[in-house]
Amino acid sequence: MVEGNTRIRVELPAGLREYAGGKGAFEVRAETLADAIREINAQHDGLAYRLLDDQGRMRRFVLVFVNEDPVAHLPPEDVRLKVGDTVRILPSVAGG
Amino acid sequence: MADAKKGDTVVTVGTRKGLFILHSKDRKRWQKRGPYFEGVEIRHAILDPTEGKTLYAGVTSEHWGPMVARSTNLGGRWDLGKEGPRFTKESGLTVTRIWQVQQGVDGALYAGTEPAGLFRSENGGVTWSSVDSLNYWKGRDKWPPGGGGLCLHTILPYPKDVRRMLIGISAAGIFATNDGGDSWRMYDAGIREYGKQKFFDREDTATCVHKMVRDPADPAIVYQQNHAGVFRRNRGDARWSLMEKGLPVAKSTGGPFGFAMVAHPHDRGTAYSVPLVGDYNRVTPKGAMAVFRTTNGGKRWDRLSKGLPQKDAWFTVLRDGMRADDGDPAGLYVGTTTGQLYASRNGGDSWSLIADHLPQVQSVEAGTVGGS
Repeated sequence: MVEGNTRIRVELPAGLREYAGGKGAFEVRAETLADAIREINAQHDGLAYRLLDDQGRMRRFVLVFVNEDPVAHLPPEDVRLKVGDTVRILPSVAGG
Repeated sequence: MADAKKGDTVVTVGTRKGLFILHSKDRKRWQKRGPYFEGVEIRHAILDPTEGKTLYAGVTSEHWGPMVARSTNLGGRWDLGKEGPRFTKESGLTVTRIWQVQQGVDGALYAGTEPAGLFRSENGGVTWSSVDSLNYWKGRDKWPPGGGGLCLHTILPYPKDVRRMLIGISAAGIFATNDGGDSWRMYDAGIREYGKQKFFDREDTATCVHKMVRDPADPAIVYQQNHAGVFRRNRGDARWSLMEKGLPVAKSTGGPFGFAMVAHPHDRGTAYSVPLVGDYNRVTPKGAMAVFRTTNGGKRWDRLSKGLPQKDAWFTVLRDGMRADDGDPAGLYVGTTTGQLYASRNGGDSWSLIADHLPQVQSVEAGTVGGS
């Protein structure tokens, strides 16, 4: 649990909401993307597994934007967040 | 599938785009349900063979990770659990696909994954533990992937001894344990060297096993479709031996090429194969589909084609694309990469189309509601 008032909005795509009780957005306290994922997982156990591979990286076809910036290629613990940031999680446009 | 009754035959069909379930009272008229997990790859799904009520499906979402889903009411409701099988952080590996789901003799559930891994669950797939002795086996770094990736695709418990199990990894080979998974040894002596009529003498040779099955009438006998031929081995044999007479031979590999292999549920020495042209063209020879059957442990194979398409049938039957039920006479089911599902109610003598226009069929399994 991150202490303080770092308020971050995390938005989930439709495909993930079934694992979040239908919820599409969260307000969490987080200093990093890893914190934010831990926080939403604390509310809906299993969400972190959907997002992170066995090595703790974002899954290959998961996109993450902090405001307008793509960050899925970075280790989640290295992605710093600040008050008012919005984390948007999206499925990449891939498949066949 | 609430309308399925005890004693009905159930066929689970895993496809590139979801799971389909067919059920029938008489194996003549079929009802089809699905797709479940619409749009998501289901490489394998089974009906629990003991109680015949619980379904397990290996669900591989490219976006949200691989899971094993469970339904305790024949597909009426599915529970995805919280997590799928996972490698350790130290391993540097990540599970990307569930290739196989298998009930163990002791009631545990096993999952075979890509990259190759064996995982065990004692609570119906809710949580998983890694079989570390295999997953972090010394020499793993030299395991070569097959065309479909480095996958653990076959899990063969031994019904008479919970400590024994065979597993198949493409293209690392076959591994055997006789101490409940505490230790493993390779089990590949006798397999053909690619394109030659020479055979590996050493057990610790990486070969491309495609599918192995036990003969239910004598589960110490194992039949194998390998990349480089068709083989059998009795427990205690020093090596695999050929069982290919009558099967078409691929020009490239030196032996019959194919993926699927099935043993008859009751008749000792009876097995089925679906030969393909070869590894350079993985389709039915001459566009004419046939299932081959041996009734004498592989001394002779015969071509069965009545009711199967004999022209313009340019498809593949994948490694889990054929299964038998445990009826008498036995029912057989073959799914194709072009979405057809063929069934036989007489041990393969004749066939009929029971589903068409499905997504690419990855696997077929058959069971009985209420168990057999």
